[in-house]
Amino acid sequence: MGLQRDTDHRMKGAPGAKVRWTKRVREHKFAYMLVLPTLIFMMMVHLLPMIQGIWMSLLNLNQFTLAKYLKAPFVGLSNYWGLLFDTDNPVRQGLNFAVRNTAIYAVVVTVGVMVMGLLMAILMNRDFPGRGIARTAMLLPWVIPSYVVGVLWGFMWQQNGVINYLLVDVLHLMHDKPFWLMGPNTIWAIIIPTIWRGWPFLMVIFLAGLQTIPDDIYEAATIDGAHKLRQFWHITLPMLKPIIAVQLLFQIINNVYSYNIVSTMFGNGAGYPGEWGDLLMTALTRQSFGYWAFGSGSAASLMLMVAMLMVVGVWYRTFRTELNAQ
Amino acid sequence: MSRSRRSKSSFVLTSLTWAIVLLTVFPILWMVFTSLHSNDQIMNGITSFELKKPQWVNYVNMWDTVNFAVYFRNSLLICGVTTVLAGSFAVLAGYALARFEFPGSKVFSMSIISTQLIPGIMFLFPIYLMFLWIRNTFGLPMINTYWGMILVYTAFYTPISIWIMRGFFVSIPRDLEESAAIDGCTKFQAFYKIILPLSVPGIIATGIFIFLTAWDELLFAWVLTTSSDVQTIPVGIRLFVGQYNTRYDLLMAASTVVTLPVMATFFLTQKYFISGMTAGAVKG
Repeated sequence: MGLQRDTDHRMKGAPGAKVRWTKRVREHKFAYMLVLPTLIFMMMVHLLPMIQGIWMSLLNLNQFTLAKYLKAPFVGLSNYWGLLFDTDNPVRQGLNFAVRNTAIYAVVVTVGVMVMGLLMAILMNRDFPGRGIARTAMLLPWVIPSYVVGVLWGFMWQQNGVINYLLVDVLHLMHDKPFWLMGPNTIWAIIIPTIWRGWPFLMVIFLAGLQTIPDDIYEAATIDGAHKLRQFWHITLPMLKPIIAVQLLFQIINNVYSYNIVSTMFGNGAGYPGEWGDLLMTALTRQSFGYWAFGSGSAASLMLMVAMLMVVGVWYRTFRTELNAQ
Repeated sequence: MSRSRRSKSSFVLTSLTWAIVLLTVFPILWMVFTSLHSNDQIMNGITSFELKKPQWVNYVNMWDTVNFAVYFRNSLLICGVTTVLAGSFAVLAGYALARFEFPGSKVFSMSIISTQLIPGIMFLFPIYLMFLWIRNTFGLPMINTYWGMILVYTAFYTPISIWIMRGFFVSIPRDLEESAAIDGCTKFQAFYKIILPLSVPGIIATGIFIFLTAWDELLFAWVLTTSSDVQTIPVGIRLFVGQYNTRYDLLMAASTVVTLPVMATFFLTQKYFISGMTAGAVKG
């Protein structure tokens, strides 16, 4: 991702490399001063909690041992064991549903956001009356705070809400007004608002990407008789592939760690989103604080992080050539 | 024939575009529209797109029924200070990463990117317990304090902001500092007097990004604040949803009000913001 772009003046493996290293540290006093404030804050709020979290995942932390903090009884890997195999573990309750929902949610939202974003970018890249207004209007959902998205859509999904009014009374697409916030419909009730809020950003990114593709490539293709769909498939998509690769990863991570929309749609953490609405983040937060089970909670977050690391590994292997080509 | 066919397909595409735009904007219009109804009307279900008697009084009552002004102030304060702090750190560290290849710079940039991979709850439990421990051991309250929230937010939003700022500094030619050095400027003077004024658009973009993200944060605010003196809007807004009586009229009015400042800032600075956000993403 451009990490290697800065020119590297170092002479690798040259004799006296060690002398050069200490000299280089002294030479870069200014650079170290610049990163110092960030380093201090990241030590306090990233590194320290991270190490504690790993340690906590090996402790039996509950309402009785909480006061002992990091000196709580050491239980080894039993938190991990409990999460994976012990159905009586309080944090484990309903976690299967949360894992399933998060998987569906992350995949559908990621695909939906990318497809809609690309489609809108292509539509907006044309010249048409009112393009400026349309482009600005499309950005509106992106600016809405996500907790407002949860509150607003939760309100619109209600049985006598506007969505059912439009579907049943205006468009006559359905006979009866369905319950959206109960049962299997819930997964759609959380996916659709997330896509709605997410696609404007992708549209902006893809628009910027489309504008970097030189027009003469398309002109040459038109002369060669390639129609629009072929041009999209053989020019636009390959040219956008590096952007798609990067955004794909960001989207997957964001959506797996999604919390706000579901949480506010179902009573701001106070309510249970149901078997088809609960996500990993809402489930883990609710259960860990509900049962004061911070050991298991930490173990679960650590396992989730390792799972995401594997996703990144797969992602990197898949897109290695595109990422290095830049 | 080809011409008329093209204009026909162009008409279809334009209509499709506007249809999607309309669908996209509809929920926001509906939020504003609902906020101008009485709660009774809303509870019975609004079945008309005509606004007969706008209930502007909702925009007055929302400040009284719930202590919304306090949440608003808390959000402004916490997000404002966070923006200044995290923005400053990002400018400094971003410049260091863009210009200097110092021992450890590769590790530093890698760890900045890796932070994005860590789920929030990975930090949530340890920070919550650490804050409790600090109070019990040193008598210094951390939960329910402005500085506790600001500390957490600043640390969280600094890494990604560094990355955005770094992208900006990379796009400024190095020659500028080199000629400044020839003129006798120190490294700091070159940074402060020449590069910083040039990167104002980038700093604005980064600042808005931090503010928008902090304005949106719920999980940590929910856990680390329990007193309404320091709680932010995302936590406070739930109070309109009562167990027996939900004030949707006020909830929608409040949602509109909290969206407005964000929207205004965004559209006033849209040009900077979008170029800042896309620069890194497109160039990679």
